[in-house]
Amino acid sequence: MLRGTSGTTVRQPSTRAVREPFVPERTSGLASYPPPERWDDWEERGPDGRTRRYFLIPTVCFNCEAACGLLAYVDKETLDIRKLEGHPFHPGSRGRNCAKGPATINQVKDPERILYPLRRVGPRGSGKWERVSWDVVLDDIAGRMRQAFLEGRHNEVMYHVGRPGEDGFMERVLWSWGVDGHNSHTNVCSSGGRFGYAVWMGADRPSPDHANARFIFLVSAHLESGHYFNPHAQRIMEAKQRGAKLAVMDPRLSNTAAMADYWLPAAPGTEAFVLLAIANVLIQEGWFDREFVRRWTNWDEYLRVVHPGCPVTFEEFVARLKEIYARYTPEAAEQLSGIPAATIVELARELARAAPAVSTHNWRAAAAAHLGGWTVPRALFFLNVLTGSVGTPGGTQPNIWDKFVPRPFKEPPRQKVWNELTWPKEYPLAHHEMSFLLPHFLKEGRGKLAVYFTRVYNPVWTNPDGFTWIEVLQDESLIELHACLTPTWSETAWYADYVLPMGHGPERHDTFSYETHAARWIGFRQPVLRVAREKLGQSVQYTYEANPGEVWEENEFWMELSWRVDPDGSLGIRQYYESPYRPGQKITVDEYYQWIFENSIPGLPEAAAAEGLTPLQYMRRYGAFEIELQRYRQYEDPVPPEELAQSWIDPENGRIWTTAPAPHSPNMVPVPAEPPGPHGRWAGVMVDGEPKRGFPTPSGKLEFFSRTLYEWGWPEYAIPCTIESHVAPSQIDRSKGEMVLLPNFRVPTLIHTRSGNAKWLNELTHSNPLWLHPSDAERIGVRTGDLVRVETEIGYFVDRVWVTEAIRPGVAACSHHLGRWRLAEGTGGERWTTALVNIERLPDGRYRLRQQHGVRPFASEDPDSQLVFWSDAGVHQNLTFPVQPDPISGQHCWHQKVRIVKAGPDDRYGDVVVDTRKSMEVYRRWLAMTRPAPGPGGLRRPLWMLRPYKPDPSAYRIDSPTGRGDASRRSS
Amino acid sequence: MRYGFLIDQRKCIGCHACTVACKSENLVPLGVYRTWVKYVEKGTFPHTRRSFTVLRCNHCDDAPCVAICPTKALFRRPDGIVDFDQSRCIGCKSCMQACPYDAIYIDPITHTAAKCNYCSHRVDQGLLPACVIVCPEKAIIAGDLDDPTSEIHQLVAREPVSVRKPEQGTRPKLFYLGADEANLTPEVQTRENSFLWAEVRPDGRPEEAVRGTELLPGPADARVAYDVWHPKPWGWKVASYLWTKSVASGVLGIAGPLLALGALADRPLFQLGAPLIGLIFLALTVLLLIWDLKRPERFWYLLVKPNPTSWLVWGGYILLLFGALAFLWVVAAWMEASGLLGVLWWLGLPVGIATAGYTAFLFGQAEGRDFWQSPLLLPVLLAQAVVAGAASLVLLGALGGGTQGEARWLAAMLAGGLVVLVVLVASELLTSHSNLHVAKTVELLTRGPYRVELLLVGLGIGVVLPLVALVVGWGSGALTGWSVVAAIAALIGLWSYERIWVSAGQDVPLS
Repeated sequence: MLRGTSGTTVRQPSTRAVREPFVPERTSGLASYPPPERWDDWEERGPDGRTRRYFLIPTVCFNCEAACGLLAYVDKETLDIRKLEGHPFHPGSRGRNCAKGPATINQVKDPERILYPLRRVGPRGSGKWERVSWDVVLDDIAGRMRQAFLEGRHNEVMYHVGRPGEDGFMERVLWSWGVDGHNSHTNVCSSGGRFGYAVWMGADRPSPDHANARFIFLVSAHLESGHYFNPHAQRIMEAKQRGAKLAVMDPRLSNTAAMADYWLPAAPGTEAFVLLAIANVLIQEGWFDREFVRRWTNWDEYLRVVHPGCPVTFEEFVARLKEIYARYTPEAAEQLSGIPAATIVELARELARAAPAVSTHNWRAAAAAHLGGWTVPRALFFLNVLTGSVGTPGGTQPNIWDKFVPRPFKEPPRQKVWNELTWPKEYPLAHHEMSFLLPHFLKEGRGKLAVYFTRVYNPVWTNPDGFTWIEVLQDESLIELHACLTPTWSETAWYADYVLPMGHGPERHDTFSYETHAARWIGFRQPVLRVAREKLGQSVQYTYEANPGEVWEENEFWMELSWRVDPDGSLGIRQYYESPYRPGQKITVDEYYQWIFENSIPGLPEAAAAEGLTPLQYMRRYGAFEIELQRYRQYEDPVPPEELAQSWIDPENGRIWTTAPAPHSPNMVPVPAEPPGPHGRWAGVMVDGEPKRGFPTPSGKLEFFSRTLYEWGWPEYAIPCTIESHVAPSQIDRSKGEMVLLPNFRVPTLIHTRSGNAKWLNELTHSNPLWLHPSDAERIGVRTGDLVRVETEIGYFVDRVWVTEAIRPGVAACSHHLGRWRLAEGTGGERWTTALVNIERLPDGRYRLRQQHGVRPFASEDPDSQLVFWSDAGVHQNLTFPVQPDPISGQHCWHQKVRIVKAGPDDRYGDVVVDTRKSMEVYRRWLAMTRPAPGPGGLRRPLWMLRPYKPDPSAYRIDSPTGRGDASRRSS
Repeated sequence: MRYGFLIDQRKCIGCHACTVACKSENLVPLGVYRTWVKYVEKGTFPHTRRSFTVLRCNHCDDAPCVAICPTKALFRRPDGIVDFDQSRCIGCKSCMQACPYDAIYIDPITHTAAKCNYCSHRVDQGLLPACVIVCPEKAIIAGDLDDPTSEIHQLVAREPVSVRKPEQGTRPKLFYLGADEANLTPEVQTRENSFLWAEVRPDGRPEEAVRGTELLPGPADARVAYDVWHPKPWGWKVASYLWTKSVASGVLGIAGPLLALGALADRPLFQLGAPLIGLIFLALTVLLLIWDLKRPERFWYLLVKPNPTSWLVWGGYILLLFGALAFLWVVAAWMEASGLLGVLWWLGLPVGIATAGYTAFLFGQAEGRDFWQSPLLLPVLLAQAVVAGAASLVLLGALGGGTQGEARWLAAMLAGGLVVLVVLVASELLTSHSNLHVAKTVELLTRGPYRVELLLVGLGIGVVLPLVALVVGWGSGALTGWSVVAAIAALIGLWSYERIWVSAGQDVPLS
């Protein structure tokens, strides 16, 4: 790989991401992986001394979103997966994995796994199941969907996804149906982070170039969790070994903070203030990159709009900047947050010294914790802007420049309906669907669902206020059919009509691309047992024939389902499932990817031809393809002359619009953009008289001033600022025993509720005691191991205490992932991880969940199941949390104001008591904080902003059809 | 060629990938680990740190587990890897006592010893160990320490590396770079009843054994936040074996010379009784030993696959010899072959000494348990044999109508044994200790959870009561009755002492 002098990259066609593993490198003759030319017939002696022959087939981990590569060892004789190692050709993970990668084999071989489709018998949630055929499942669901489409009830079909794990496939499916039926988990996860980034740079995710950074600032725990844990952790530590400094802001000593040069345990709710205090030092001391800020922020728009009449000069802006941020003094920050003023000044100095190689990342953490949490990533990215570390080597840039979503064949048009159950008028700026309010909306009578798919999504357990979810899922008039697509049992699957087993990482096809580092790459997940059978010359029509039991891969499920929804093509759906190679015939999953690999990935056909392979064969063999190394400072790219030739330059802000047709791009990664209007589309922005590509924002620059917030009802938050959190120090009365509960920290060994089927992970991690500082423990009168009651606004849970110096006084922390449960002894939950519980209504109407027993050894075909030694299943906290939607970003604000008291004589470990009437009250209180649409132009939402499954512009009108009986027969 | 590991703790993020990759590669059952990550927290908020260390077999060049293994199930390969062969293992767990690093476990499926073997099956095929290739941070560096082009050679040469417990003289080939010393020093660590995200699996260790605060108070308090289970390998069966062996060896070792000297009369009571007691208690000893094996049906491997460096093997031969002597004695007594008996009586002394004493060398090979490494162990065992033997003969005499003269001889032996024993044990416990590990163990015995049993049963019933009874009996003339009391009390005290000695010796964690 050669890097050109002008910041561009020249790619040598045959270069693969990694070569070194097959050549022993300073390891005395030992190599990391067998050489790829022997992957089709690798002989290996196992620890038992027996030699077996394997196919080595690459695939991709489906545990967290980082999508690291795996290499499956498929026994050629038994066609059984022996183990999964890292995949050396994967550009993101480079052959290395976290604990969850190799543990994938547990998930595949889990004796508790669901192998056949199940249909409920008796009322929903009563826990009786019967095995049915896939035909029955598909025909029933397809019939209901067809009926809904025929009756214009498109939005009564909803697909609710937890972990997507893929790019592009479902978009095409949902568009082909003409529904605005996508729902995600994102608002319980990252929309606070996303919104904070989106207001700056349009793109909603950062792509930090950690490997080349000189200073790394994390408001996250990327050395142990999150997107993209393993790829990022590799690169963060590489930089650190080369001398980069690491700062981690977290009230809890995470493993990441434990590796940091600076642990910044700011009081919850003061994070943005501390970051702005650092910004203030940079500003006041003149340590910021004036030239970058002048050229690449929309300071002029700020002056013109907010201070009309003042001179529009950069000097004037700097003067005002100094004035605005003067109140964020290090001393004030110290008083508020507990971070010493001297540390704040030192950090500012270090950042200035490291400029422009400062990489930053805030994901979840404070952004997902607070009312106004989105101000944290915004304040953090402000430090990138001030140090000029945007799109630089070692800086942070919009993720869209490091992501590649290949265009599939025959794209359906976008939906013309707007789903008000996911995108209600109250939240015009919500970055993603108001997913966790779905039961509240349904309860309020905002609609019903005819077919509700949950897919690798466990809202009963994961979302706040799970008892309200249970109430709504059990109401067959609100949700007529619930199909749960899942590889493993979950608390939500219990309340389904169909439990539909779907494949794990090595059992399905997907493509995806993530901004793990300074490059664009694409990965290919594949069902390795199917690939192995095909290598042996066996014909496999559907992946489930090769998978264990009748475990489907979802792609084939959706293709088959869509075909049955529209068997004669009259709804206009079938056409998207006809083969691009065999007109009129149903497409195969091979053909879908064959077309993409042949047509939409630059360089892939050539690389494949160089090895005498077809593009599909190449991807089956190598599992990943690096398309290009990162080109830095892409915003400085000139606007091409053909676009300039038909352009219009907005006299106010220098935004360049063009009517030149957009060149065909095989990359369909969603980019923020206005829909084409009379002046055409965004082409760039004038900077110092030169036409530059700029950023995908309304101003074309980094938006210090968000005109969107200004015009959509939140002018007070139009520039980087703080918002008083619901758990800010001012809101917590410690004399009343109030504390902040940090309920959502993650551990390196588990992944939400999807790893309960991995015995080696649960063996490592099976408890979530409440972390308390010794001073708090003393005040409450407890020691490690004692029980406490943690009281929230709607109920309480009972947990053990772990007293530690690793937590800020006044803050209690309890890990996510643990506290899984099942309602029946023999089914409905992974016995590696769940407690048996019962749920009862107390006389006062509250719900009580109580553990009958914890985890126990059990009999199965896996001898390890008799060796289970832990009994703790943890405590389920999320049930006791009311919904707390941020009125702007829509993010659920996870941190809770709680009271912690010694457990009473009737309290038992794991008890959860909740009053769902109170949770509706809290919901209404937070709903009242919103400033509803319509915004400017009578719209539901700003047109330029990203939105998953962005609909046709016509659907943005406040009076557009909502797909509840008012959609046209074919909405496209 | 010497393969070794270097673990760069400056890079390690404590993610446990190595642990899981190892389980996957080697199909390690639940509950046991070939490699694991330990978390230790130090300091007070906000100056708190959590540091990680990856712990596993050290592939010692001078591996105590190899020396003690009776059947060569553990062995050092020519390339320096310390490997194991589970088909030879009898499950005696002595390797777990020999290893100072807690690296060996008993596989709950095969019931044989296992540990990190550097993925020797992969190395033989030119592949790196599974933990090395999975590590996101490349923090585990493998290679030949003798190869100057290898990264590990260069790092060990150039960087300030450390090893665990260098004073054990095992010459470990697992080096650490940037490891916090508190992580590698279990004696200074404190363990509460919970880890940060896991249960503390009960291992029978008293709270005092896993508390280091008294030793290093202040900000350097090292608190274990995550660890894995390391049960104590030996329990009451081994304690009882020591006791039955004391009886057997003592009876033969005392009765023989006393018979030869005429202090005991040559009549069936002692002539047949002594070797019969010896045989019965030898049988109990062997039974307990075999019962304690995890693979008892393989006990005979000790004889057919012997490792000449193992004192377990020599102990086995000595017990055989003892059995042969006792058996011959019975036969000779039966046949009244007095010439032969004269020889056998005197042979009773060295064979009794060997039988009682070899355990000192066996426990001396248990390099992990420093408390057992005492040079006083041999005399203590001999004194115990005298006490147990004399007490048993006292009871035999009392039951079978021994004479007053015989009773006096035996009472004197018992009293003498007790006095010597108490002096030895006291000097062991009350003088200064060789290291922190021993000091902590002694603290457990003298001031910790064993204090009451040690003082009341071990000293009170086991020593003071018998001595008082013997003095009273001697003085009052009713020696026989009083010495029965003394003998029973001494035997009870002895068993109690063996129990707490075996238990406390394993209480201080090795990792």
